[in-house]
Amino acid sequence: MNYIPHTREHVSEMLTAIGCRTVDELVPGQVPRAARLDLGDPMSEMEVVSYIESLAAKNAQTKCFAGGGSYDHYIPSAIGHIVLRGEFLTAYTPYQAEASQGVLQALYEYQSYICLLTGMDVSNASLYDGASALAEAVLLAHSYTKRRSVFVDGGLNPAYLQVLRTYCEGADIFISDAINDDVACVIQQTPAFDGSIKDPTHMAEKAHRNGSLFISCISDPTSLAIMRPPGEAGADIVTGEGQSFGIPKSFGGPCLGFMAVRSALTKKLPGRIVGATQDGSGRRGFVLTLQAREQFIRRERATSNITTNQTLLALSATIYLALLGRTGLRSVAHTSYRRAHRLQQMLHTRGFRTITPGPFYNEFLVETPRPAADILERLQRCGILGGIAVDDRRLLICCTEKNTIPDMETYAREASMQ
Amino acid sequence: MTAQDKATPGNLIFDYDQANTGHVHTDEDGIKDQFPERDCLPLPNVSEMQVIRHYTELSRKNYGIDTGIYPLGSCTMKYNPRVNEDMARLPGFAGMHPHAPPSHAQGALEVMWELQEALKEITGMDAFSLQPAAGSQGELLGVMIAKRYFADMGERRTRIIIPDSAHGTNPATAATCRFQTVTVRSDERGNMDLDGFRQAIGDDVAVVMITNPNTLGFYEEHLQEITDLSRKHGTLLYCDGANMNAMLGISKPAEQGFDMMHLNLHKTFSTPHGGGGPGGGALGVRSFLEEYLPVPRVVRNDSGHTFDLDYNHEKSVGRVHSFYGNFGIMLRALAYIKSWGSDIVNVSETALLNANYLLGLIRGSFDVPYDRRCAHEFVVSTRRFGEKSALNIAKRMIDYGLHPPTVYFPLIVKEALMIEPTETESKETLDRLAGALAYIANEMNQNPDILDGAPHTTAIGRLDEVMAARRLDLRWRPPKG
Amino acid sequence: MGLSATENSFLKKMPKSALLARRYTEEHEWVDAIDDGIIVGITEFAQDQLGDVVSVELPEVGVSYRHNDAMAIIDSVKTSTDVYSPVDGRVTHVNENLLSQPELINKSPYQDGWIVKMVPENRAQLDSMLTQDQYDELVGSAEK
Repeated sequence: MNYIPHTREHVSEMLTAIGCRTVDELVPGQVPRAARLDLGDPMSEMEVVSYIESLAAKNAQTKCFAGGGSYDHYIPSAIGHIVLRGEFLTAYTPYQAEASQGVLQALYEYQSYICLLTGMDVSNASLYDGASALAEAVLLAHSYTKRRSVFVDGGLNPAYLQVLRTYCEGADIFISDAINDDVACVIQQTPAFDGSIKDPTHMAEKAHRNGSLFISCISDPTSLAIMRPPGEAGADIVTGEGQSFGIPKSFGGPCLGFMAVRSALTKKLPGRIVGATQDGSGRRGFVLTLQAREQFIRRERATSNITTNQTLLALSATIYLALLGRTGLRSVAHTSYRRAHRLQQMLHTRGFRTITPGPFYNEFLVETPRPAADILERLQRCGILGGIAVDDRRLLICCTEKNTIPDMETYAREASMQ
Repeated sequence: MTAQDKATPGNLIFDYDQANTGHVHTDEDGIKDQFPERDCLPLPNVSEMQVIRHYTELSRKNYGIDTGIYPLGSCTMKYNPRVNEDMARLPGFAGMHPHAPPSHAQGALEVMWELQEALKEITGMDAFSLQPAAGSQGELLGVMIAKRYFADMGERRTRIIIPDSAHGTNPATAATCRFQTVTVRSDERGNMDLDGFRQAIGDDVAVVMITNPNTLGFYEEHLQEITDLSRKHGTLLYCDGANMNAMLGISKPAEQGFDMMHLNLHKTFSTPHGGGGPGGGALGVRSFLEEYLPVPRVVRNDSGHTFDLDYNHEKSVGRVHSFYGNFGIMLRALAYIKSWGSDIVNVSETALLNANYLLGLIRGSFDVPYDRRCAHEFVVSTRRFGEKSALNIAKRMIDYGLHPPTVYFPLIVKEALMIEPTETESKETLDRLAGALAYIANEMNQNPDILDGAPHTTAIGRLDEVMAARRLDLRWRPPKG
Repeated sequence: MGLSATENSFLKKMPKSALLARRYTEEHEWVDAIDDGIIVGITEFAQDQLGDVVSVELPEVGVSYRHNDAMAIIDSVKTSTDVYSPVDGRVTHVNENLLSQPELINKSPYQDGWIVKMVPENRAQLDSMLTQDQYDELVGSAEK
């Protein structure tokens, strides 16, 4: 497929205008020239489709009972139709506000939704993913408190912890095993990796007594439709993964990191922020604002190197929330909750002991009577992705509104077979 | 408010709510008392058609590559092939859970492995990580690796050298990893100044970060000397690959002497920018740094036909993504590379041709701060028209249905317009862009007042950014009561 | 405009002779010596270069800085600048009005837009700063 519009005549006219015989002359002699690349013959569009489809066919398509940071919620059809509109899909960061009001207003709506769901004052226009959003929150807390360590409450997604460790090593921040006077922030994930719902109030108070910020990290944000918002429970920063809101799992990416803060932290918030303002005639419009925080202005004094956000996914999430509304979102949350509890009951009676402590949302951890890998393999043969084997004998299982009762019955039956 | 008022374009979706109470009943489904519940969820309830109309209306107030030329310098706004969108949406990929066992995700792993191999061939680097979600994260990962590498060598290096033409992310990345930035000025040909570099380099310099071609649109001419000096001091050379669209098949960064580089998949490899993301920021390294790349890594098994995720790398810096990176973006990039195959050199050659042709057309209208042939983009200055002229010209372009170029960057050129046409624009479009710029330059002389208030043809006029920053309005709030 | 009673009296306390002895830094801060310390702000030229100021980050009272340490940050729409300590010394007052009215820096850089008051460790440092004439020359050459 050729995406270059020039005819041979155009090329020679243009070269003449420049005063060159060949394009080669445009490359200075100091640049070491590459041998011809070995990337195979060009493929036509039809060949590309056939090639990529053949790769897709090598993946197993299954009914999904896995979570762990990526959730199989239903994606309403309308989202895809809107985000594929070229005016959204092929735009870039809205530097020129007058030509970008669509994206800017959508991001303002996104920020509003995130604030309403989390109970926080201010949201940015999104970050890369849940894990790096958490790491950015720690950089923010360090910059705000000038303290050099972080305390992580148990139950954080192990991949998030690994990302946090990597960022902390880069930024000379330490992971502390106690809440001491060098702790910039205390992190608690809810629902936690094992699915348990935690009441952040206690941990938030403990953090604040110590002069630390409290960060609440949300794994599946559909839970916010029924859970008390972390902002009401004393969170200073709320971060999380927004993939649940109308974004395909897509083998783990692209994702949608979100971050919202109390107003006192607004100027430390990383990433893009959209604000409302007026034009000369008093008409309301939207712009990127507080840009003096950002790396392209502050350079080596910036508190984050974040450049872009995930606009198209923030747009997907915004359309998702608009389509579902409060009724639909609560229905998704209730159904996910009920299905997970139903499956947990079915498995319980078949000898799978639940080890998630206390109440859980749509994910729970069980001890398996047989090796977890064997159970997953058996389920896979029935077209079911049965969860995540946390170790030999523990399985993390997740339900959403997409998991039907018959599928759950198949799951329970097959999982308990010898 | 009447129904007609509500239909006014510019309303927020929240204004359409069909019932104005967000209060919820807490006694449904026996969930009550299990955990602290919320008592109010103030999201609007609206119909699907209202949603479609609302966001369709918003899309019409937006400009994309599909609308017209988008010559935003350093952003490589090229055409985004539609077939790649279809490929990313195939259920066999879009529906893949990241925790599917590798044996059931062979197609996805093969996509990643194939892309890594192609990027290695294009850049000359020995290994790639596809985890970074954006160029800036790739850069961050690169500097983290450098930091760990020197720690392993038992060396304490504190400085990173960056030219004054660099993107702001470079110094911000250095600072995030607690390095001190040393800025080297540009010389009169727009290269990193060699004398300045000689003074700055030393045994305490961890990394030299260079964008090549640089943000002025020029291939660095002293790279050989810079490489030799860096090697002498044991310093690593990092290439910011933002401008890789000028090098496909022309030159390989590893052969230019770079030890590490990131690629912006959304720039060079045509994945859509999506209004500012998601993108992809693959990081490539030479073999002596490979063991530091994040885990898991995609590997091909000995059989040569199956693929796996490898977590066992003791020296790895860890990870930078919740899963494996922006897989959907990798898939589009691979489809794009496959469509070109070895002919991908045409992309960069045409990008160079278009930029130099356009520069020739408009050089009479503006000042050219460095008089030499450019690579895939160039910078002109509108300083002859006075302060704020670059801004005014940019806004006036919107009136003529053109997206403005990057303005006021790089910082070292006053009243800068940074223009990158890309290879997918036709000669007619370039002629039209040049004609419009010449016309606006003429307006600037004849009737500068008209530019002060531009744009005039958009639904909204020039917005008050000072008011936006002073009187913060960053979200909708539910009406009281 | 919104100055508290103490700050008004603080400004009034400045003897006229001190104003005549106003000194400047190459980073475009002005420094007025007063009985018990110095007042620091940014110059007319600096505020004009910045454009509309949209927010100011102030240091904490009681903190000490070395000469040329960054102690405050002034943000405008398109740029951000540090305010450097002109001396070794301790901050005794900050102009909290700037938090709600950052535009004071534009409207009144030498009066209502003052930034901090400090007690220098060594008043002799003031003598090595630029005089009015020297500063005018610096600005004049910058404008060429």
